[in-house]
Amino acid sequence: MPQAAALQNFVRSIRLSTHPPPPSFHSTPPFLPLPPFDQRGMSFFGFDTSLPRDRGRGPGAKGFFENSDPFAQVALADKFVDGDAVDFEDTYDGLGDQLDDDQDEFNDDTFGGGGGGGGIGEAAPVGRDFDFFGRTAGVADAIGEEQVRYSLQNPQSAPAPAQRAPPPATDPTESTSRRTGYEKYSEPGYIPDLQAKSSVWAQKVEPSPAPAPAPAPSRKIMSLEEVEALEAQMRRGQPGGRLPPQQMQQIQQMQQMMADPYQRHPQQFPTLSDGFHQLPPELQAQLEKGGMPPPPPGMPELYGGPGPAIPPGAPFLQNNLPPQNMPPQPSRHAGLPQGQRPQHMEQQLPPPSSRAPNNGLPVITNPQQLLHLTEEQRNAYLVEDAKRAKRNHKIALLSRGNGLMTPQDKNFITRIQLQQLVAAAGNVADADPEAVLAEDFYYQVYSQIRGAPRQHPHQPLGHFAQTYLLQTGNRLGGNRHRNPLQGADNHMQRMQQQVQRAVEAAKAKPKNKQLIIEGSLGKISFSNAKAPKPMLNIKRPDSSEGPRPKKVQSELSLSDRKSILTNIERVYSALMSMEDMERTMPPPPEEGDAEAIQKHMEWRQELHGLNQKLWKALKVMEPIVPNSTTPHPFIAFLSHAKGKKAIPRIFRHIDQEQRVTILTMIVVHLDSLDVVRLAQSMPGEAQPSMAVRETIDLFSLAVMPSLLQYVNEAPFNIIIGLLGLVIAQTHVQSVARTKVGLGILTMLLSRAELVKEAGQAPERDWQQWVEKFNVLFDTLEPVLADIFPGSINSGDDMYVWQFLAAVGIGASPEQQQRLVIAVKDRVMETVGYSKSLPADMASQRLGNVNLFMRAIGLDVELLG
Amino acid sequence: MLFFSFFKTLTNQTVTIELKNDIRVRGILKSVDQYLNIKLDDVEVLDLAQYPHLSSVKNMFIRGSVVRYVMLPRSEVDVGLLEDATRRGK
Repeated sequence: MPQAAALQNFVRSIRLSTHPPPPSFHSTPPFLPLPPFDQRGMSFFGFDTSLPRDRGRGPGAKGFFENSDPFAQVALADKFVDGDAVDFEDTYDGLGDQLDDDQDEFNDDTFGGGGGGGGIGEAAPVGRDFDFFGRTAGVADAIGEEQVRYSLQNPQSAPAPAQRAPPPATDPTESTSRRTGYEKYSEPGYIPDLQAKSSVWAQKVEPSPAPAPAPAPSRKIMSLEEVEALEAQMRRGQPGGRLPPQQMQQIQQMQQMMADPYQRHPQQFPTLSDGFHQLPPELQAQLEKGGMPPPPPGMPELYGGPGPAIPPGAPFLQNNLPPQNMPPQPSRHAGLPQGQRPQHMEQQLPPPSSRAPNNGLPVITNPQQLLHLTEEQRNAYLVEDAKRAKRNHKIALLSRGNGLMTPQDKNFITRIQLQQLVAAAGNVADADPEAVLAEDFYYQVYSQIRGAPRQHPHQPLGHFAQTYLLQTGNRLGGNRHRNPLQGADNHMQRMQQQVQRAVEAAKAKPKNKQLIIEGSLGKISFSNAKAPKPMLNIKRPDSSEGPRPKKVQSELSLSDRKSILTNIERVYSALMSMEDMERTMPPPPEEGDAEAIQKHMEWRQELHGLNQKLWKALKVMEPIVPNSTTPHPFIAFLSHAKGKKAIPRIFRHIDQEQRVTILTMIVVHLDSLDVVRLAQSMPGEAQPSMAVRETIDLFSLAVMPSLLQYVNEAPFNIIIGLLGLVIAQTHVQSVARTKVGLGILTMLLSRAELVKEAGQAPERDWQQWVEKFNVLFDTLEPVLADIFPGSINSGDDMYVWQFLAAVGIGASPEQQQRLVIAVKDRVMETVGYSKSLPADMASQRLGNVNLFMRAIGLDVELLG
Repeated sequence: MLFFSFFKTLTNQTVTIELKNDIRVRGILKSVDQYLNIKLDDVEVLDLAQYPHLSSVKNMFIRGSVVRYVMLPRSEVDVGLLEDATRRGK
């Protein structure tokens, strides 16, 4: 890691350069442009070292993100890489605030140019952006000279209190380091006598703060081309040979230092070159630009180079442009390969908003210029410099990922996400209620039945994705008058269409259950809530082979439980398809609309086919096998609760003839119906079991109303026929002992009475009816006392009184008398019993009895 | 989608949910999603003595995959309709 390497180098350099300062340390006023150590000590390491108090009022205090910069998007990424700096701010104990800074003007007096900067208490973490070059640039000549000088000096000769603290990584024993590197400036009129000693830079980098921003400390061997290019630049950059050759060399060394950071940069962006071969060249260029902005004019300014023309009196920072707008400077960097442009230079380029033009600082075009600045100006300059370095470091880090994805890439991702969303939540195209109903049948119908509150009509979750798309489209559509946004609008529409197409394609071809991207680990499976990823992958036998023989077998035995249940399910599926058909009924055709008529005819045809299917599934027309041990399939159908419940729905979808067939079937098999067979309440016996009573109740609720509805419309001859069937085919006396049996008899008798009273009964039919009635009456008369359920207090006997009333109405006066005699005991019992009951229950029981009494022209009141 | 459709009809009903770690929670079903994740309100933990850490929980979001049982109010279930919905299920 470059940072670590830099740190190591740095530490080594500290160890090797712990020299005591020369004895002349205090002797002369400082002319080295160093600010008080408290303001720049930390910036030595490239951090914002200004105290909170200072930050609050400095022009740079607005912070990095308030600049209109292109890197705001990656601000989050900064958290990772910038953590060290943030940590420092967060954990700073504020001790520095307590320092008295009023005497800063004399720091240089005391410390010989502020060499002691960096104070011990402010030991700062070493950042990777340590600005060695800039820091040392101002004293570059001095350092080399000092190296030579030191070798001649007694190391112990000069005590210098608290001059310069080693960085925290340094061994504590070296905190006594005395050497500042600025000693030579104590001599007025000192002219650097420089040796070209690159070893100074390689191993003995002076960590002492210097007035100019400096790049990272690590050093790399430059290629010959680079050195030559730099030399050429320098030569060009020194018009009139203003600098002596030594200085020239010195600067060349600095340039080497400059080269370091950006030589390391390619390693920091491995993905740019490695992972994106497939990107178009212009994109790669873009990436490079994003990652490494063109060099700013900071360096030329400092070194008198031929940078942008700078008016000498202008505020020194004003001429710097933001990195994005920086034109590349081919004159300076022509010799450098594109990828090795001096990236770090850009670190010296602060965004314009943080500039302080009101400082009135002159533009620094030459390091020597710094020496002539006033104390204040130097301070301001260095503070600015530190901020710049920090900001540019951040920019470099933030912009690392810039341009990694093209807009097309982003669109692609967005599309995939939307598609997932749509596929998971339902289909955009599923707007029609049929599809919603199919998906969400229970909820939809339940809500209709129970009136449950719905957030939206039909509330399909698929609307979520749709809404999302529409909302975005609308938002952009509102700005239609603006050209760029119109493009975005069109883009959204296009994307919407694409999503819909993608969804349709996915629906049409849902074959690929997973995607394996070449070179990736693992698979992407396209599961969603509707089609979850199958945990088991069982190969099912082809439908033509496996279940076939079994099915044949089940058709052979029509009456085993399983086939009965299968039949019931078949009935239900036919019913449901018929109900679906009803919903899709075309509007009644108008006269002359051939197409509508045709449509309607087709629909009716289809419905008729379904009706036949239903009828077949009901197996009503199966031949009746007399004395068979297995019940008729339809009766078996009715013996299941599901079958009973189906009857009302069946009756809605069948015609009158089918209805009478069903009714006939039930009447013929009345005593083999489970509700009759199991409900034979013997005299004195307790009620039938709970399960049977529930079955009976279900039959009374589900089947009887349908039958009653039909009987009430049935022609008289059918009633006569049905009564004849009851008498002929069933054991009337046992049927009469059950609620259902009595109910059906009551149904027939009351209908006949209604027909007679309406005068619709032809005389011949009536005679026929009376004959049958007489047979029935004679058959039932002996058991009339036993048709009541259990004892008097065993509960509901209303249906019996209803039956007796129906009999009584149709009976002759003589029959009525026999009827009274047969049930007289029960009447008296009930009347007596009701006296012991609460008023409301008593009146109910008496009312039941009265049903019968009034039918024969009597009243319980008469019984007193 | 049947269960999702079904549980949607039970919103604002009191249900008891038994989790796969045996914790039973009674509360008002506020919402359910396609994964049968469940949001409960006015939560009451049964056998609270065993789970004192849940004593102050008033509402919760339960991931659908950890639910073992949901005990429903019988009156709120339309069995016939549910049977039909089941028959429709593909």
